[in-house]
Amino acid sequence: MSTDVMIYANGLTKRYGSFRALDDVSFEVRRGEVVGFLGPNGAGKSTTMRILTCFIAPTSGTAKVRGQDVFDDTLAVRSSLGYLPQRAPLYLEMTVYEYLRFAAQVRNIDSSTFKKRARNVVEVCGLAQSLSKEIRQLSHGYRQRVGLAQALIHDPPILILDEPTSDLDPNEKAEFLNYLKQIGKDRTVLLSTHNLKEVESACARAIIVSRGRVVADGALDEIRAKSGRVRYIVSVQESVGTSPYRGSGPLPKQSEVEAALGRLPGVKKVAELPTDERAHAYAIDGDDGQDIRADIFRLVADKGWVMLELHRDTQTLEDVFRQLTIGDERRNRQLGPVTESQSASDDEDEDEDEDESDDDDSDEEPAAAKRGKR
Amino acid sequence: MSSETRDQALEKDSKKKLLAAEEAAEKNRADRDSSRDTEDEEDEEDEEESNGSSKSTSADSVTTPAGEKAILNRPSSARMIWTLTKREISAYMSSAITYIVIAVTMVVFGLYFFFYKGGFWQVDRATMARMFDTIPPALCLLIALFTMRSLSDEKRVGTIELLITMPVKDSEVILGKFFGSLAVVTLAVFLLAAYPLVMFTRAPFWHLGELDWSPFWVGILGLFLLSAAGTAIGVMWSSFTESQILSFFATALTLIALYAVGSVTIVEFLQGWPGDAISFISLQSRFEPFSRGLLDSRAIIYFLSLTTLGLVVAFRSLESRKWS
Repeated sequence: MSTDVMIYANGLTKRYGSFRALDDVSFEVRRGEVVGFLGPNGAGKSTTMRILTCFIAPTSGTAKVRGQDVFDDTLAVRSSLGYLPQRAPLYLEMTVYEYLRFAAQVRNIDSSTFKKRARNVVEVCGLAQSLSKEIRQLSHGYRQRVGLAQALIHDPPILILDEPTSDLDPNEKAEFLNYLKQIGKDRTVLLSTHNLKEVESACARAIIVSRGRVVADGALDEIRAKSGRVRYIVSVQESVGTSPYRGSGPLPKQSEVEAALGRLPGVKKVAELPTDERAHAYAIDGDDGQDIRADIFRLVADKGWVMLELHRDTQTLEDVFRQLTIGDERRNRQLGPVTESQSASDDEDEDEDEDESDDDDSDEEPAAAKRGKR
Repeated sequence: MSSETRDQALEKDSKKKLLAAEEAAEKNRADRDSSRDTEDEEDEEDEEESNGSSKSTSADSVTTPAGEKAILNRPSSARMIWTLTKREISAYMSSAITYIVIAVTMVVFGLYFFFYKGGFWQVDRATMARMFDTIPPALCLLIALFTMRSLSDEKRVGTIELLITMPVKDSEVILGKFFGSLAVVTLAVFLLAAYPLVMFTRAPFWHLGELDWSPFWVGILGLFLLSAAGTAIGVMWSSFTESQILSFFATALTLIALYAVGSVTIVEFLQGWPGDAISFISLQSRFEPFSRGLLDSRAIIYFLSLTTLGLVVAFRSLESRKWS
């Protein structure tokens, strides 16, 4: 184990009866990393976090925080963590200030240090106006801020945040993410969320879990590259409208453009995107290896059409996320009796899941993603 | 050696000794009122001993592989329990219900005591003994009312997750909850002293003669011990369920059943050893000497054991979340 590993999980498994909430989850988080912990609802994000924060014990496997076992050195682990549980459960009858003071007392922070830290934390979390309010009077967004303040009050080296932005408005989210970048410089942060935009803006690395398993773990670029697909967005003028400029050729028909684009080398699939009557827009799936933007331009220019838009879109994190976790959703929507031969179908599904995560290049994948999008 | 290391050592050893520590802490508190016995000294010795033995083992875990010092930043157990207790008390005090319940209790207890079995004047003596016959069953309900939210509410709202992921031991959570509830119940019990103060002191109130205060205080001590046992049982029930209502009824039924099985009718009906056995575990027959102003050491031990039992079960139940 490297000396820089702050959070270490090895083979974490958690069973509730016959249900496996976590199945052999292993990962490491190093010092100074801000890691996004992604997954659909019920994938085991919170369970993992609860194990790391010593709230529950894993059925098997080990977890260490700063080299200390969560089971054997639980108090040491807990004192080096700042944790914000999902939905920030706080004591509603306390005022914000009382709550922070309580958290500080439990963390053994003397009152002068507390005042210093509190000033800082209150500024960061934007709580100055609500310090003397009872927590029950606060909106969910503000409660979440208090939860965050509570997690920061003892200046912990490691932060574990379970959906910290779920109740924040867009402005607050942006602010929070900025702040996260700041504190992420000298701290280790593990942050769970469904919001992929947040991960893209705040984290350099992501771990994706699905049905209790880690299905992807790596730098965002690596994860994005997993599918090996590139998408091009093209739109071509359909009618002149108010624009004084028109191309040299005749105005194209929808099918004409689609067929022409489909004939280009390296194009796998052309799909029409919804637009207004002035343009035809298409999403083109291409191979990762080559760039066909020049070919597309040449085609449009040769035909005398007017190109309104062309850009190359590498796979978004969202697409990868969908592909990797699609099995979850499909299973949830399955009809028919689930009780019968549950275990048998379990195994089957898991195999399928492995396929999905392992051979992302296979042709089945894009199809699966499309099916999910529909 | 730095205090950090010492804390660490304490923590290590306490895992094995959680139960012992819990009992000890509990006894320390409870014994403040009665005489201190040798148990305490033994406990202290135990602690010192284990400190020494675990120092060597904890020394290597103090440094992480990164070579930096581990943070073990938490107050001593006593201060932690005090912090939790304070929070608990302030939670009670911030709610108007608490004051209303205490006020209503005072009125109801007063009326009940004054008019019970033909009224206070029937006795024709300056004594409060009658009060201690009437109050315990009502106290059982009061205890159930005050303990029902203790852990149930934390579980329901989810605050328990935040609390437990702070560097707090489970035993400290239980003891904090226990002392917090006990403090409020005790407040209600001590306010009972208002009755004799009104009745037997001189102006501006009645003066019904000189009251012998000793039996009264012994009775109050009995009520306090009864409250401690009841509160422990209440905390225990509230640790089992997320529902306050369920916790209330479970506690109230348990306490009233424990109280009622000691009634003369039942004990005489069973006769012989079953009757003895049942009266041995009954709150009523255990409390009876106190109501007459007698300090019964067996009863004190009974109440303290019941308290410990309740707290240990609550502790185990809280701990069981890890494996559920």
